[in-house]
Amino acid sequence: MKKAMRSMLACVVALILVGTMFVGCSKPSATTETQTPEATKEASKETADGGETAAPTGEMTEVGTPRNETLIVECQSPTDTPGQFNSYMQGTTMGFGIHQLMSAMMWEIDTVKGEQFGEVADGMPVSNADFTEHTIKIRQGIKWSDGEALTADDVVFTFNMIMTNTGINQNAYYNQIFQSVEKVDDYTVKIVTKESFPRLAQRFGVTIWGNDLRIVPEHIYSKQADVTQFKDTEPVVAGPYTVKAYDELGKWILYERREDWQASTVGVVTGKQPQAKYVWFRNLGDDTSRQMSLINNEVDILCEVTPEMLEVMTAQNPNIACWYKDFPYATSDDPCSKGIAFSMGKGAPFDNKDFRWGVALAMNFDEISQNIFDGVGRSSPFPILTNTSAAQELYVKPILPWLEAFELDLGDGTTVKPFDSGYAERIAQVLRDKGYDISTDHETLIDMFGAGCWKYDPAAAEKLFIKAGLEKKADGWYFNGQPFTFNMSYLADTEAQAGRGTQAAYDQLTKFGFKINLVSESSATWSTNDVTGQYDIGGYWPTGFITKDIYSQINGWDGDLIVPVGERGSGQGTRWNNAKATDIIHQLAVLSPDDPKSYDLGLEFFKNAIEELPFIGFHSGVKFVPTNSTYWNNYPSADNPYNGPWWWWSCFKYITTEISPVK
Amino acid sequence: MKFRKYFGLRFLTYLLTVWIGITFIFFIPRMFPSDPVENMIGQMQSRSGQMDPAQMDALRSQLRVQFGLEGSLIEQYFTFLWKGLLHFDFGPSLMSYPTPVGEIIGMYLPYTLFLSLTTTVIAWVIGNIIGLLAGFRKNKLSSKILEGVAICIYPVPYFIIALVLQIVFAFVLGWFPIQTTINTQGNFAVWFASLLKASILPALSMLLVGTGWWIISMKSLAGTTSEEDFVLFARYRGISEGKIGKNYVFRNSILTQVTALAMSLGGVFGGSIMTEIVFGYPGVGSLVQKAILMSDYNMILGCITISIVAISTATLIVDLIYPFIDPRIRYN
Repeated sequence: MKKAMRSMLACVVALILVGTMFVGCSKPSATTETQTPEATKEASKETADGGETAAPTGEMTEVGTPRNETLIVECQSPTDTPGQFNSYMQGTTMGFGIHQLMSAMMWEIDTVKGEQFGEVADGMPVSNADFTEHTIKIRQGIKWSDGEALTADDVVFTFNMIMTNTGINQNAYYNQIFQSVEKVDDYTVKIVTKESFPRLAQRFGVTIWGNDLRIVPEHIYSKQADVTQFKDTEPVVAGPYTVKAYDELGKWILYERREDWQASTVGVVTGKQPQAKYVWFRNLGDDTSRQMSLINNEVDILCEVTPEMLEVMTAQNPNIACWYKDFPYATSDDPCSKGIAFSMGKGAPFDNKDFRWGVALAMNFDEISQNIFDGVGRSSPFPILTNTSAAQELYVKPILPWLEAFELDLGDGTTVKPFDSGYAERIAQVLRDKGYDISTDHETLIDMFGAGCWKYDPAAAEKLFIKAGLEKKADGWYFNGQPFTFNMSYLADTEAQAGRGTQAAYDQLTKFGFKINLVSESSATWSTNDVTGQYDIGGYWPTGFITKDIYSQINGWDGDLIVPVGERGSGQGTRWNNAKATDIIHQLAVLSPDDPKSYDLGLEFFKNAIEELPFIGFHSGVKFVPTNSTYWNNYPSADNPYNGPWWWWSCFKYITTEISPVK
Repeated sequence: MKFRKYFGLRFLTYLLTVWIGITFIFFIPRMFPSDPVENMIGQMQSRSGQMDPAQMDALRSQLRVQFGLEGSLIEQYFTFLWKGLLHFDFGPSLMSYPTPVGEIIGMYLPYTLFLSLTTTVIAWVIGNIIGLLAGFRKNKLSSKILEGVAICIYPVPYFIIALVLQIVFAFVLGWFPIQTTINTQGNFAVWFASLLKASILPALSMLLVGTGWWIISMKSLAGTTSEEDFVLFARYRGISEGKIGKNYVFRNSILTQVTALAMSLGGVFGGSIMTEIVFGYPGVGSLVQKAILMSDYNMILGCITISIVAISTATLIVDLIYPFIDPRIRYN
């Protein structure tokens, strides 16, 4: 018995060991894991010794494609609807390469210039005087991947499909806007809107990330009994790639370049060939796995990481880089600044501009900046508009004289000029002292660190709080005779920049003397609390900037849209009720984006927002989006900024023409 | 007659347990200060910037109707009882609308069962054999070593073991994929080989910890049993150690382990969330986590209902077969 049991145990252990070794030792060259960090370091050493290192050849990816023909791109989350490529069916995960590689947009965005251009449309729409009739030319030469030509019929069909199917998300909205969409000829469409609609291309074309109008092939979709239940498992597309295979569990999709890529949207618009034969979008799981995968060259492009993650990765694999090769690494042109928002619908003191200005002056931005990403990032203290490089040129620099002269009344007969233009020089010196090689050119510093920030002036802040009705006693601040405490909330799961910013602001305001509860929220409650205004001060980001015309960025701040706290409205959750801002928004609504008056009104809105300060920004969107140049290079970067590093935007298809294989 | 009464009472308790559990799971998520419609709109906005106010209003009311969130809680509850509990139709997933919850769970559940059932059963068998040996011969050096190893492994959280395995075998040695990738291109053999390869490390992490627990518990049970009077008496009668181990110690100790196994098997339907996260292994655990974050009421209900029913059913089955394997219960 004793022997039998021992034998059995030995057999089980042996089986496990053999099984493990058998799988573990199976042909490592068959997959991408073979290029370990050691191998990469070795390769890098060879590079240093002389010339460019050739990409490893003969390796295959885990999905059976040659590694050196496959561009591997991370997708932030897996999809629960694998095999579903119909963008009008609920649940389709467009960011899984679908809108980046296959979708046909009416207008796309040049993210560097901040200008739209026609993709399916041949140029911008031509409208009548009151912007109710719009004529759109369709680009000739685009073909669907099954060889059918893309014509006005497809565009008209797509609009009408949305307007006649209540199961499509955009249905109600399109019916509010459009009177009719008709074909004039094979390559011309006429759209009639129910009311004046001067921003057709901005609303129905891409400005940020993508757009929910994606043209579908009439000859496929018109045959479906219910397009909202049609998965479109084998999609016929106008983009340069089609689906070759996908994971039934939703973790990856493999795309293959169309043989007739010249007839795709990208081919017709640019005449350039997307260089990778295959693009493999895959989800890589948690942060540790993402880091290990990039270091091991199992992925070429990652979505956002933290600076700490980047540091670990660049230390282990010299082929990993970000927007800048060296400090500050990240791009500061993500059009969404992070900072703190006030729930003004809750009433005093949050709805009092003196209170908000007091908060701004009570915080030391130099310290906040260090706490967020060690000083990386362009300061963007302004409310609502993000200080991207384009915004800095178009909106910030033109109002700099006004900004420097702008004064706050402190309520005791004194004033303070809150703008501090010395931030860029100061932070540059701090970073130089830390050993970073930072330019001394003033303009370069302004581009890198921004035109300025709000002054750190605790004495002025104290006066402003008192003006706002707060009272300072020996044991802290009081409001309406009660000890004054409030909550500061931030999103715990993602958005490191926003979360760290709120935590840093909490430290500053606590140091100033406020009693604050720091609340970490999960994404389960974050959006709901935003829209219902259920917070005091929160790390929300109701900001943006992409095009010169700011109407689509600011129309949510219309005071007429505000609903009481606790209810769900369509306006901004902060509930900033400002008559002047509302009036400007109403004026802009009926003006063409190209009308010079639109820009003037935009500047006026910007100044009014600064005076009222409904949001305190810290930095513009700082994105650490690393790439690995072991197999592919010529990614967009600060040295070669042909596009922004926005892999998750629909404009990625244009980036694929530039990313080249390492020879 | 006695058994029928026992069975009837036990079955009634089973139905009551399931009903109470599911009722809680129906109401609790709806008390969260979150809203699936707002989460979806928030997600759309965070991707594409500001949404046109008119579009947001239109979308909000459209989604509320589509998601079936109109009507009072009680109305929704009775609809759920009829559809969900009696027909196992949990409706569409709100985060992947209109894909039915059942379809999504059906996609992930086989992987959860493949990994968790296999590792639970293997760990149970290995752990009980080693535990029996260690407990029955507790004074031997080999028993002490085995017990020591189990005590060292068991308290380590299995995600730590998972991380260590991932770093050593996937990152440094490159023998296994860092993240689970199952190759769906090609024939069954290609698919199964990639599944096996991707499952080794997750399985190993669960197996190591699981085995440690079974060793410790069985060792303790066997140690106690081997000091019982009837074992001593058997020894005095001159019965061989092998027979005592098999017929006296093993058979008496294994009863508790059978109950624990049934509970564990029922529990595998809940998935192993940390293993799934570390290795990116597809499974029900991460599905529940995502559903909670997205306030997908239907998905939460679907996954947890299956878990409640599985655990309750496993317990019921054990209770019903217990009289057959333990004569003491049968006679009482």
